[in-house]
Amino acid sequence: MNNIKFLLAIWKANLQSAMEYRISFLSQMIGMMANNFIYFAIWIIFFDRFKDVRGWGVNDMYVTFGILASAFGLVSLFFGNAFMLSDIISKGRLDYYLSMPKPVLLHTISSRMIASGMGDFAYGFVSYALSGYFTWDGLARYVLAMLLAATVFAAFLILTQSLAFWFGTMSNFSNLVLNAMLTFGIYPITLFDNYAKIILFTIIPAALMGSVPAEFIRAFTWQSLSQLLIGAIGFLGLATIVFRAGLRRYESGSAIQIEV
Amino acid sequence: MNSIKVKNLQKTFQTKRKAAGLGGSVRSLFKPEYSSVEAVNNLSFEMEAGELLGFIGPNGAGKSTTIKMLTGILHPSGGEASVLGFTPWVDRQKLAFQIGTVFGQRPQLWYHLPAIDTFTLFGKIYELDDRETKKRIDFLAEAFEMKDLLEVPVRKLSLGQRMRCEVAASLLHRPKLILLDEPSIGLDVVAKQNIRDAIRRMNQEEGVGVLLTSHDAGDLEALCKRVIIVNHGQIVYEDKVSNLKRKFLTTKLVEVRYAEGVAKDFSIDGVEILKVGHYGVKLKFDAAKTSVESVLAHISAAGDIVDITISDPPLEEVIAKIYEQAKEYE
Repeated sequence: MNNIKFLLAIWKANLQSAMEYRISFLSQMIGMMANNFIYFAIWIIFFDRFKDVRGWGVNDMYVTFGILASAFGLVSLFFGNAFMLSDIISKGRLDYYLSMPKPVLLHTISSRMIASGMGDFAYGFVSYALSGYFTWDGLARYVLAMLLAATVFAAFLILTQSLAFWFGTMSNFSNLVLNAMLTFGIYPITLFDNYAKIILFTIIPAALMGSVPAEFIRAFTWQSLSQLLIGAIGFLGLATIVFRAGLRRYESGSAIQIEV
Repeated sequence: MNSIKVKNLQKTFQTKRKAAGLGGSVRSLFKPEYSSVEAVNNLSFEMEAGELLGFIGPNGAGKSTTIKMLTGILHPSGGEASVLGFTPWVDRQKLAFQIGTVFGQRPQLWYHLPAIDTFTLFGKIYELDDRETKKRIDFLAEAFEMKDLLEVPVRKLSLGQRMRCEVAASLLHRPKLILLDEPSIGLDVVAKQNIRDAIRRMNQEEGVGVLLTSHDAGDLEALCKRVIIVNHGQIVYEDKVSNLKRKFLTTKLVEVRYAEGVAKDFSIDGVEILKVGHYGVKLKFDAAKTSVESVLAHISAAGDIVDITISDPPLEEVIAKIYEQAKEYE
């Protein structure tokens, strides 16, 4: 209960901090929504030409892209430091979080809000509304799938960025796998053979952020729900274990820091 | 009762070594070489509850590493430590409720927000209720003279003002012990004095123990009753500050002004004459070798004294002397 109060307080502080620069906050939010619309226009043109890719049409892409954007936005908004964890570790900036009486991983990743995430988050809902699959039941499934996909995504970020405990700065590698996750996340899952699918459920769990949640939103199945639940719990557990193991190797640093 | 007990504490870092130039970088890419650096080497000491303890040493002496192990930020390579009854790296969260930390080089206040917002957030982090947080903020605002600063975004405060708020923030949850790592770094004389006054007040009024690391002997002189001097991760001196002064501050500087002119060849056996002016002299002597009484007798015999000042050399010189002795011993 205390940790929930703490999270609410830190998110409030994040929001206050982001809103100190009103114009930057609004422009990032609107800019990101516009960016997503422009990016998605390519898929609209693509499906206008090919209509169908192994059973996937443009409506499926609306849902897949939507859920991916919302999950991405949710992590950016509430756990923004998950994107910067490698830098925080390698520059010795975990000291601050380690000196506080709260779970260090939760405190660290929740201590930053990336304002553009609001644009991604909202865009996802618009994209789902435009998909032609919209129902109120579907919307409830959308919210649940978004939470589970965001959990997988945050856990994946923590996992890859925690490698910095062992190998020093990993921000380039993390960006690389992050791009792979997002790129494969929006591809129709039907494009891939079984071997590729194994990779997309494990090493780069893009399927758990795009196509599986999209399937679950379109129609409830126990299979897709259990895939999402197992993926979210499994990846989060693994990420926590790896981060904790890494923390024992944390070496701090003496760099002068001028802001939190 | 001890608030800190440290026994044979050690911390070894693995540091990558690389020869200069591109060739060195390429070799290091395929065959990296590491060497061990002992940042803290068999350190043992104790600190009483409510004590003001100075922990000083030059850059790289192991001060910050020790503080980081005592707060649970770093895991040691060996040895034991108990802080307020907790093993810091095992019970980090429980310990954090009982201690406050300030790292002079690492701010904890949110840069874009007014300090009061960070104070309120800390209230939630330390699980205080809202009324208690507000009451405590009011008290600290008065104790640290920062009422006018609380609603200004931190980025707009001067370094001195910000550090005052930083130290106050670390005291929000009424810790029993605060660990201050270079709290006066980069501050001017007035700002340093303000911080020292506030820390002294909190020690006297709330009995907060203070472990302070600093480069600045002035912090030590103004605040601490006892001092531990470290170099190369080991203790080179440990005693009361008053004993440190008595043992090492044997050199006295004397400035005298006379009513009439002074002889140009003014001299006293065993005393170094630094300057002879028309009406005054400045001299230096070692009180362990030449008696103060005989020097004063000579000074007084030389004419009618208008004014006299006897002072100790700055503590920095003493500490430098201790480092030198430790180096010779090695």
